[in-house]
Amino acid sequence: MATSTDLENRPSTYDNDPTKTIVETRNLGKVYRDFWGRKKVQALKSLDLEVRRGEIFGLLGPNGSGKSTTIKLMLGLLFPTQGRVFVFGKEATDVSKNERIGYLPEESYLYKFLNAEETLDFYGRLFDMPADVRRERIEKLIKMVKLEHARRRQLKEYSKGMTRRIGLAQALINEPEFLVLDEPTTGLDPLGTRDMKDLILRLRDEGKTILMCSHQLADVQDVCDRVAILHQGELKELGRVDSLLKIQDLTEIHASGLSEDTKRQIRDIIEKSGGKVDRMDNPTTTMEDLFLEIVKESEQRPGRRGGRGGN
Amino acid sequence: MRLNPDHFWTYSEWLFQQGALFNGVLLAMILSVLGFLFGYIVSVFKHGPSEGFLKVSQIIGQLFTVDLPKMSARRIYAVAKLAVKESIRKKVLVLVGIFVVGMMFAGWYLDPNAEYPARLYISFVLTATTYLVLLMALFISCFSIPADIKSRTIYTITTKPVRPLELFLGRVFGFTAIGTFVLAIMGLLSYIFVVRGLDHDHEVVSLDPTGRSGETSFDTRHRHTFTLNAEGRGTTNEVKGHRHIVTKVGDKAVVGGPIDDLTARIPIYARGLSFTGRDGEKNEGYNVGYMSEYQKYIEGDSLSRAVWRFEGVDKTLFKDVILYDLTISAFRTYKGDIVTPVGGLIHFRSTDGRVKSEDEPFKVKEFQVDRRSVRTKLKGFIEDKPADLDFFNDIAADGSFEVVIRCQDRGQYLGMAAADIYLRPADLQFWWNFVKGYISIWLQMFIVICFGTMFSTFLSGPVAVIATVAALILGFFGFFVDDLVKNTSKGGGPIESLIRLPTQMGSQIELELGNEKLQSAIFMLDRGLVTAVSRLKDAVPNFSQLDTSNFVAYGYNIFGGLLGRHLTIAFCYFVLTALVSYFFLKTREMAA
Repeated sequence: MATSTDLENRPSTYDNDPTKTIVETRNLGKVYRDFWGRKKVQALKSLDLEVRRGEIFGLLGPNGSGKSTTIKLMLGLLFPTQGRVFVFGKEATDVSKNERIGYLPEESYLYKFLNAEETLDFYGRLFDMPADVRRERIEKLIKMVKLEHARRRQLKEYSKGMTRRIGLAQALINEPEFLVLDEPTTGLDPLGTRDMKDLILRLRDEGKTILMCSHQLADVQDVCDRVAILHQGELKELGRVDSLLKIQDLTEIHASGLSEDTKRQIRDIIEKSGGKVDRMDNPTTTMEDLFLEIVKESEQRPGRRGGRGGN
Repeated sequence: MRLNPDHFWTYSEWLFQQGALFNGVLLAMILSVLGFLFGYIVSVFKHGPSEGFLKVSQIIGQLFTVDLPKMSARRIYAVAKLAVKESIRKKVLVLVGIFVVGMMFAGWYLDPNAEYPARLYISFVLTATTYLVLLMALFISCFSIPADIKSRTIYTITTKPVRPLELFLGRVFGFTAIGTFVLAIMGLLSYIFVVRGLDHDHEVVSLDPTGRSGETSFDTRHRHTFTLNAEGRGTTNEVKGHRHIVTKVGDKAVVGGPIDDLTARIPIYARGLSFTGRDGEKNEGYNVGYMSEYQKYIEGDSLSRAVWRFEGVDKTLFKDVILYDLTISAFRTYKGDIVTPVGGLIHFRSTDGRVKSEDEPFKVKEFQVDRRSVRTKLKGFIEDKPADLDFFNDIAADGSFEVVIRCQDRGQYLGMAAADIYLRPADLQFWWNFVKGYISIWLQMFIVICFGTMFSTFLSGPVAVIATVAALILGFFGFFVDDLVKNTSKGGGPIESLIRLPTQMGSQIELELGNEKLQSAIFMLDRGLVTAVSRLKDAVPNFSQLDTSNFVAYGYNIFGGLLGRHLTIAFCYFVLTALVSYFFLKTREMAA
């Protein structure tokens, strides 16, 4: 029988797996210790998961559940006390893997005395990019994150949302295959949040693999293909978002233009066939959709107040 | 300032004959073994004995197979540029302002009555620059990486393909660049301060009726006297370490600017110094039990002599006159005529003793440089018969000759060392020697940056500052260990002392354990330990050895060999700190 150590030590499946697992953790654990080596907290316990090529993978969990620890272990910022973690088939501590990774940390930890161009130029150099490639990417990314107007301003003058956007740009400077986003929508207004989510989906469509962790459950639901839910350092749930959220014994029908009579007939049919109508009502939109629609209308017709709803 | 024989070793002499290369290799081996053992012990605690060994070996292997070959100049440049910007943001350039303010008020605390104002001015600017620049280097290097770790900006760097050595090298080069810039500005300002501060004029206030001698006005707290030759040219006497050229224009004499105060003598030293005793037999020179072992003494009015042997002196460097300086001292066994200095006789002779010049009497000028000369056409003796001599044809035909000094006064002694007489073929431009002095400061700054950055890879900022300062202070006490190695301290090495202490065995008594084998084993082990410690002592920089400010202040050229040695030492520290930093950065959890 294979022991856990045997499983940890088997080679990564990256090179012979046709689906190409980008990240693979095996029995991964992390214990934080104090100066004297005494155990302070077990942040992660025996985590086994895979992030596959081309998917958006979400890490969910409350504070202290081990999300950030998992990401830091994957990036080599922390070393595991148990198990192993492979990224592109290499140990997470292997620096060469970083050439294919983009990382947006939780708080966009950037040098505040640099401006946007200098920031991107600095990180571009760290990827050993020649000057002409750097120039081209900087132009493209500044346009993409809509910071053309602030490209020469020091980051200390940036708002939180702008800092987040330049943070994302630095994560994309090397056109990474694998993008790690720690709380990507934190600090963004609803418009920025929508842009970020659109961008994440677009990057996925371009073939990039994305790992994100977030407290914004709606964001995770909107963009993630698969999620892992962690709690107290343990993996509690792992699977596709659509199948995890599907309620098997409920049926949802969306229809428009029905008269009251037709609705009554539908209700009768359901009850005749032994079913039960829990609710039949006009659905409400989400606050996010409402907000975005108002902003869109306002941009089209400035100065006019919208006429939705009552007082 | 006294020059020691080691000051004028050539670079190759120091490297090969004096054992610097051997000692360096030995030190590298000791440090490698200790480093591996330290790493292994730490790794054993984390991973167990066999995996621990594997991990340490992997890290060493990766250094040579991956991390060194895959280093990128562009990445190092990026980190260096960032370090420069960060330093500017921390307002290190304010330091130049502080320096300027310091110089503006320097007149308040620089003694206007100083015997040698040039020394005072030069020492002041070099010392002020050294302290300010080293402090700057200490703080910018010690706080940079810890600040990045605290603000977590390090996350966005170490998640890029940046190798640990690139992180270290980028920081060191960046801080060195900003330090070089600051140092260059300070150097330029200092040079202007010194040259302008010492510049002064005199007027002739009295000229004797013959128009051949006179006296200058009393300016900047001194006056000169002068004599002129038949052509109406001459120099003043030396006061406060300088002279003036005086030229007669019509019936008036005009005094020029100061000369000889800002010099950089390029001395040609003797290859050896030997002594004969009062009976004419060779000896080691007399020890008068005075000061240090630096100088040895000859006895007055006896056969006691000091003989310097010069070899390979290039006669094309001299024309009609051979200039030489004497810095010998006197030791009086009786007070005698205290106003009259002790006298001596000096002559030059061929190495076979067949040809010699006439004895020339001199009076010892203590605590100052006695600037002397001998003409190349001179009177002397060939096999004891009087003859007119040509210095480079008769005495030093192959460039080799000897200088012999005797003491004239009975019962008095003259003290001398190998460096107390030297020929002065030409002087180096002062400004170039001044630049060399600043190169020495630059080297010290570079070493502080290397150590500061190294400590900051595993310590917090304030602790890294303390560790760097502690390392520098330790370097000053290296001579204690030298005493142990030379066996000049009593009581033996660490193990022998450990036996002597509890058994209350005095340090003057020979160790007697009653077991010869055990005793020799202890001696051997002690020897090994002391040798290892003495090598380890060399791993800590001794700044007093790297300081060349006295060369500039006292007007000696900083020899190329000396500067080359200092450059080599700085490079070795650079490699050492780079390797230590590599291992700490490689094994450190940046997010812990």
